[in-house]
Amino acid sequence: MSSVFSQSAAVISMNIRSLPRRLWMSLAMVLASAVVVAILLAFLAMAKGFESTMQSAGANDVAFIIRGGSAAELNSVLGRDQVNLLENAPGIAKDEQGPIVSAELYVIVDGKKRSSGTKANLPLRGLDLRGVNMRKNFALEQGRMFTPGTNEVIVGAGVLRQFSGFDLGSEIRSGRNSWKVVGVFSTGGNVFESEIWADAKVVQNLYNRGSSYQSMRAQLEPNADIQAIKDYVKNDPRLNQDVQTEADYFSEQGKSLSYIAIFGRIISTIMALGALAGALNTMYTSVSDRAKEIATLRAIGFSHMSAFIGTLAEAMVLAALGGLFGVIAAYLFFDGMNASTLGGSFTQVVFSFNLTTELITQGAILALIIGFFSGVFPAWRAAKTPVIVAFQSSH
Amino acid sequence: MNDFYLIVKNLTRKKMRLVLTSFAIFIAFLIFGSVMALNNALNSGVEMSADNRLVVTNKINFTQPLPIAYVSKVKSVEGVKDVTYANWFGGYYQEPANQVITMAVDPDSYFDVYSELILEPGVKERWQKHRTGILVGERMAQAKNWKVGDRIPVSSNIFSQKSGGHTWEFDIDGIFKGQDKQTDTNYMVFHHKYFMETQAWGGDYVGWMIFTTTDSALNEQVAKVVDERFANSAAETETKTEKAFNKAFIEQIGNIGLIIFAVVFMAFFIILVVVGNTMVLAIRERTGEIAVLKTLGFSSKRIFNMVLAESCLLSFLGGVLGMLAATIIVKGASAELASFLPNLILGQSVWLQGLAYMLLFGLITGIIPAVSALRLNIITAFNRI
Repeated sequence: MSSVFSQSAAVISMNIRSLPRRLWMSLAMVLASAVVVAILLAFLAMAKGFESTMQSAGANDVAFIIRGGSAAELNSVLGRDQVNLLENAPGIAKDEQGPIVSAELYVIVDGKKRSSGTKANLPLRGLDLRGVNMRKNFALEQGRMFTPGTNEVIVGAGVLRQFSGFDLGSEIRSGRNSWKVVGVFSTGGNVFESEIWADAKVVQNLYNRGSSYQSMRAQLEPNADIQAIKDYVKNDPRLNQDVQTEADYFSEQGKSLSYIAIFGRIISTIMALGALAGALNTMYTSVSDRAKEIATLRAIGFSHMSAFIGTLAEAMVLAALGGLFGVIAAYLFFDGMNASTLGGSFTQVVFSFNLTTELITQGAILALIIGFFSGVFPAWRAAKTPVIVAFQSSH
Repeated sequence: MNDFYLIVKNLTRKKMRLVLTSFAIFIAFLIFGSVMALNNALNSGVEMSADNRLVVTNKINFTQPLPIAYVSKVKSVEGVKDVTYANWFGGYYQEPANQVITMAVDPDSYFDVYSELILEPGVKERWQKHRTGILVGERMAQAKNWKVGDRIPVSSNIFSQKSGGHTWEFDIDGIFKGQDKQTDTNYMVFHHKYFMETQAWGGDYVGWMIFTTTDSALNEQVAKVVDERFANSAAETETKTEKAFNKAFIEQIGNIGLIIFAVVFMAFFIILVVVGNTMVLAIRERTGEIAVLKTLGFSSKRIFNMVLAESCLLSFLGGVLGMLAATIIVKGASAELASFLPNLILGQSVWLQGLAYMLLFGLITGIIPAVSALRLNIITAFNRI
């Protein structure tokens, strides 16, 4: 048995040292494998970045309430009277100011993208300080909090990064209204950083919303069951809201870009087939190039197995090398890349591509699969070629 | 024995290599065809827009409403032919996930402004008199299997009825078709007045206005007059050509689209580089044979052409099959995706581009070995073997 190992090791090192002889073919295989891996990772990192931006925004102990059937915050409407009724639902935590709830509304305003100079939808959220405090990762990076009752806003760090004209101290014009940026906030990289925040009452006033809101957040008591609020809504004919945890709402919203991951997987699978065809060409060429060598080794007593393993190892090494280059390229070009797109609420979501180790593992596995399949058939041929035929065919 | 016979023999001498190489080319063009079709479908709104049609929206953002009184003010602007208006309804059918594009429009003017939409004679007049009637686009009617005379419940994810509930019932009065295949008909329209009278908040506003100019040369000037008319009012406007409006909308999707297409095109070219490399090497192996052909009296020119023809043949073999497969896939997918990508068609222009790339690819991969074959000195060639 040990002789199989030592024989295989000898053949592997021989094959690898003879690679320069087949330089162009081998490079082609490395390149093909690299491209497939890089493309898979680009798509997956994009979908992952978007998904984690959304999902990290939601808390499990906050109930998120919007009008029944409205699907997204943007569409929903809640009247002041409904908000009052909902405040009294069971299971909502209280402090000295009463139930810990935040009724919020949402106006779409225009922002100008730094990258293209084109206009895009940005959410201007009206909320009060209690609502701000319900965001657990909230931190002011620059400036100060808006003063309730004034036309002051604070802008998310993502907005500042991707859109121009939102720097601290600047004035934002929106129709006839103007807003003053007094602070920049972060919320740990999640979707709230793609928003502009102002006092709810001022937003209602300036955009003719009367006393209506669009969504309501309610802090749940520890161990409270959200079902109690759902039942409360169901049993009151004046209410018709959808109640879910904030985490569930955002995880649903995060799926709106999951088609990118599916698309990426389809494209890279199809491309992997193409790359496989190229790699098989390389490996068959390698086997016929070394036919005489293989025959000689077999003639002096090397086993079928060592010829098989030698060829397979060559393919795996080339594909793995390609995979490595693919991962490096994806990491250099895509990881942390800033992008923004339309999210489920019809407004821009700023996010960064996120190349996690889990995704890198997926890329590496893909490279090894290409390597295995492009090696195994030519290796079979190398192992099975009768010694005498090999000598004949190579002149 | 003619040249073509020789070319085919050369091509098929190593069956395995022929299959693998043409398969890789097949894959490259399969991706090219499908992705180009997808890209065109995303941009089709821009290409299908009429030259003389303009969209007026609230300057704050196009989701903000405009007073209905603006309609007649726009109508009086010189150079404006027809004006109509619409409001987004946020419609869905039975389940919130099952969205159906529904708009409340002005029945008297909508089909004047969208003249590429065709109705059977008499249908429009019947609908105009029928308050709860709705006209459904052909593509939506097919997808949902709706027929004229059906009564359909349409819910809104934004608006509520005055009487409570979010569901309106409509009678399908007719089905409108597009003038050509690419016209978007995946939506339905009903009376704006009926909408305003039945929805909970009422009000005298419209979502946006659309108007046509008497001559597309006047577009810019008319847009400026319209926006100036409403400057410093409670609702300032922004007027853009339909094309610019649709383009801005696509751009909201942002650099994501750009990144996807850049990445896929890079992939397309790199596959071709990889395969091209194999093809060049395959022909180089045959130096000895080319020397024999030359010795037999084949002219250099003739051999040059044969080598080029061989690589082009291989390129077209894989490429045309790939484009055919892409056409079939796109056809299949377009039925599935009709609701959100209405114009997914792999058309003539994509085919022409594909064929041009195949020719280019065949020529590039053939030219290096062809030139070396052309220059090949018989004696050195024989010495090398």
